[in-house]
Amino acid sequence: MNPITPIINGLAITLKHMFMKPVTLQYPDERPKVAPRFRGLHALNVSHNKAKCVACYLCPTVCPAKCITVEAGEDANHDKYAATYEIDMLRCIFCGYCVEACPVDAIRMTGEFELANYHRKDFIYNKERLLEKK
Amino acid sequence: MVNLTIDDKQVTAPKTATIYEAAKLNGVNIPILCHDKKLKPFGACRMCLVEVEQMKGRQIPACTTPVTEGMIIRTSTPDIIKARKMVLELLLLNHPLDCPVCDKAGDCDLQNLTYEYKVDSNRFVDEKFHHEIDYNNPLIERDMNRCVLCGKCARICDEIVSFGALTFIDRGIETKIGCEFEDGLNCEFCGSCISVCPVGSLLARPFKFKARFWSLTKQKSVCGYCGTGCNLTLGVKDNKVLTTLYDENQGFHKGQLCVRGRFGYQFINNEQRLTSPLIRKNGRLIESSWEEAFEVVAGRLKGGNSVAALATARLTNEELTLFRKLMLENVGSNNFDHSGGYAHSALTEGFTRSFGVAGSSSTILDVQKTDLLLVVKTDSYETHPVVGFEINMGVKNKGIKLNIISDKRGKLSKLPGANTFVHTPGSEVALLNAIAKTILDEKLTDASAASISGYAELEKGLAEFTPEAVATSSGVSADSIKKLARDYAAAEKALILFPVGLAYAGHNQEMASAAANLAILTGKLGKEGCGVLCLSEKNNSQGAVDMGFYAQNGGMDALKILDGCKNGSVKTLFIAGENPVVSYPDGAKVKAALDAVEFLVVSELFMTDTAAMADVVLPACSFAEKEGTFTSTDRRVQYVTPAIRKNVQCKTDFEILSALIVKLGGTAPASPSAVFAEISAGNSAYAGMSSVALRTEGAFTQLNLSPKLVVPKAAASLPAENGKLALVTGSALYHSGTLSQFGEGPMYVCPENYVEVSRKDAARFKIQDKDLVTVSSSTGNVQLKAKVTLRMPEGVVFVPYHFSAAPVNAIWNGAAVTTVTITK
Repeated sequence: MNPITPIINGLAITLKHMFMKPVTLQYPDERPKVAPRFRGLHALNVSHNKAKCVACYLCPTVCPAKCITVEAGEDANHDKYAATYEIDMLRCIFCGYCVEACPVDAIRMTGEFELANYHRKDFIYNKERLLEKK
Repeated sequence: MVNLTIDDKQVTAPKTATIYEAAKLNGVNIPILCHDKKLKPFGACRMCLVEVEQMKGRQIPACTTPVTEGMIIRTSTPDIIKARKMVLELLLLNHPLDCPVCDKAGDCDLQNLTYEYKVDSNRFVDEKFHHEIDYNNPLIERDMNRCVLCGKCARICDEIVSFGALTFIDRGIETKIGCEFEDGLNCEFCGSCISVCPVGSLLARPFKFKARFWSLTKQKSVCGYCGTGCNLTLGVKDNKVLTTLYDENQGFHKGQLCVRGRFGYQFINNEQRLTSPLIRKNGRLIESSWEEAFEVVAGRLKGGNSVAALATARLTNEELTLFRKLMLENVGSNNFDHSGGYAHSALTEGFTRSFGVAGSSSTILDVQKTDLLLVVKTDSYETHPVVGFEINMGVKNKGIKLNIISDKRGKLSKLPGANTFVHTPGSEVALLNAIAKTILDEKLTDASAASISGYAELEKGLAEFTPEAVATSSGVSADSIKKLARDYAAAEKALILFPVGLAYAGHNQEMASAAANLAILTGKLGKEGCGVLCLSEKNNSQGAVDMGFYAQNGGMDALKILDGCKNGSVKTLFIAGENPVVSYPDGAKVKAALDAVEFLVVSELFMTDTAAMADVVLPACSFAEKEGTFTSTDRRVQYVTPAIRKNVQCKTDFEILSALIVKLGGTAPASPSAVFAEISAGNSAYAGMSSVALRTEGAFTQLNLSPKLVVPKAAASLPAENGKLALVTGSALYHSGTLSQFGEGPMYVCPENYVEVSRKDAARFKIQDKDLVTVSSSTGNVQLKAKVTLRMPEGVVFVPYHFSAAPVNAIWNGAAVTTVTITK
């Protein structure tokens, strides 16, 4: 084949892209559009001003990364609630099994994906941090 | 055996089996909710429906239908599956679907069956129950909304525990399980109802919300409280013992436990456990290193005969062997003992002279195989509740005759047909002698008896124990004594039971010989369902005797050791696990002795009253953290392996003793199993046992009886003094030794010491239930809560010995009966 032709073809593609919308996202000035089923940071759902979680231990049981720690407690009405609920984000593989396993729709995964931090301990999300923000 | 066909499989089954049992025996699993193999068939849940060809294809319950020859049974036709699904649908109609918060989830029969039969929708609609949930009980939580009315709890409480706390109340759709007058539970708290509940209606409150069933590791172990030798399954998570689990196939008792076994496990992970060696410096116990502690202790142990040791009978056989070796070979002292030096005398002296061996001649298995039980003291139930369950089942199911001689009535007296002969405190031996005398006089003896050595001496020695003479001193009529003798002699098989222990000072070698005489005279010995069973106090009391850890060959016994501490002949005292300040008689004297001794070493789990007086305290390990063998009261040797890892700062007594042996220039054995190999090689009773085989199943030690008749000396009965009462000590149902004070369960239901007073005495001294009274004797006085009960005879009061607060040894100096006064 003529050695010049491929070069011209290449330059043609380059030229074409000069008139197209750029692919690169100017993060963080521009924000990506997060899909509704994106699996980002977990959130504990709230109902009647308290976490829906009943500390059934199904999420730590199903979690393949063993990153969820739950400790149940008994409240004044003798109901079960999660006295401790922690997710170790350094271990989490964002598989979403915890959401699938939850029998009371107490946990979901948000679009939050900016999880970088400076200290290891900051990656351990306790119940306070996980409760959904209104 | 009958032949039958189950699901096209030709099988055989015993004639007495039900279809359910026959199927299970042959590996066919029939789903069921209302069956437990210890209970009688009930047929409540209708899950076990099967089709029998001979019954024209009708569906019949497998659990209540006996097998017959040639039966052709189908257990899972489409029709049956449809019927079972419907049963589940109807159960789930009212059963709340709160599995996520129900602690039973994962171990729930209803949940498992619902999953198995894929019942994911319900054709019916109905409201759930709104029964009130009993949250107030500290041990057993009752949520009747979840109940499926299988009746197992009510049946086990009636058939085995024989308490009858629970029953069906109301009728029809409103039926529920409840207590009398819909009150709270006030029972023995053995938790048997929890163990059999197929759903989450009855749950162990101490375990509530602690962990899910599937996250628990099941560790098999042997209970560390009394001498029964019950097997336990401990539920372990994150190296913590969180609960005890039920296994209907475990042990001779089929998983049945008492309150201490089931709820008394919390001492294992108690936060008060000692975690570091402590050395007394300038009057205070200061944390130190093991190396320093060993150095100090080893230095003090080089004292030859001025060194003495006391051990608890809760150490393993291996530890006791090692302890004895340390004392004899490395220290050079034979001053060591256990259990106060007298609580084991029934075995070490009584049975040794009467049977030629220091062990009971029968096993707990004989209880259900006998025809007549002669129980000395109703306390046999309180000291060994699981043996008590065996008695209950024997008497109720097999029609075993039950005769009791006791200084008070008790739970056993309430059994159907039980004859309780209440005697004056301390006259047990005289009574047994009078029974023997009657047997001799009325020629009720076995043909073999006359040839046994000591026969003539016994005839002579018992001359004064005529029923008439004993009747006046014991308060049991001569006719009753004769009846007891005739009953005992007439029974084809008869078994004598009596408890021993620190609080049963009167149950000594004389009592053992007196009981043994009866068995020997009537030839009720060495046969199934016959003999004498001494119920020893601690989980390894028999083992401590077998290992020879008691005063022998001129060594000082426990009480002499304490005297020696006082007078200076004992300079160093090593106490392993024993708590003499609380449990030995005459607490003030024990305290003075431990104060006086130059150097006191205590290895303990907790800072007990005894440990607090020590110069060096070594943190030891509980049964759940160590390896070794325990020999139960009926000589069953069982191997325990660690259920949890021990705290790195603690050492087992085995490690402590090994380290001390090395420090004193000896060689320590490699492991507990190596020591057990030595035991089985050196002790003929343990010959042929291997620690490997014992891990799977316990084995009985061998026993070669050489019966001999001995004349037992009966203690003179105390003359009744005007205005004074006779104090008897003993064991409370909820406690065992002083260790159960650290198990939370027993302390919830029996938190403090008390004095049991009869109604008449209460009226006489104007005492109300729960009044604080002062009980005084010649040795001191103590303030106790009064408990007015029906079971005490007039003039007798009972105080248990387990408590360090208000201990009974403030007023009790080791006599079988103490004269006391009560003031408000």
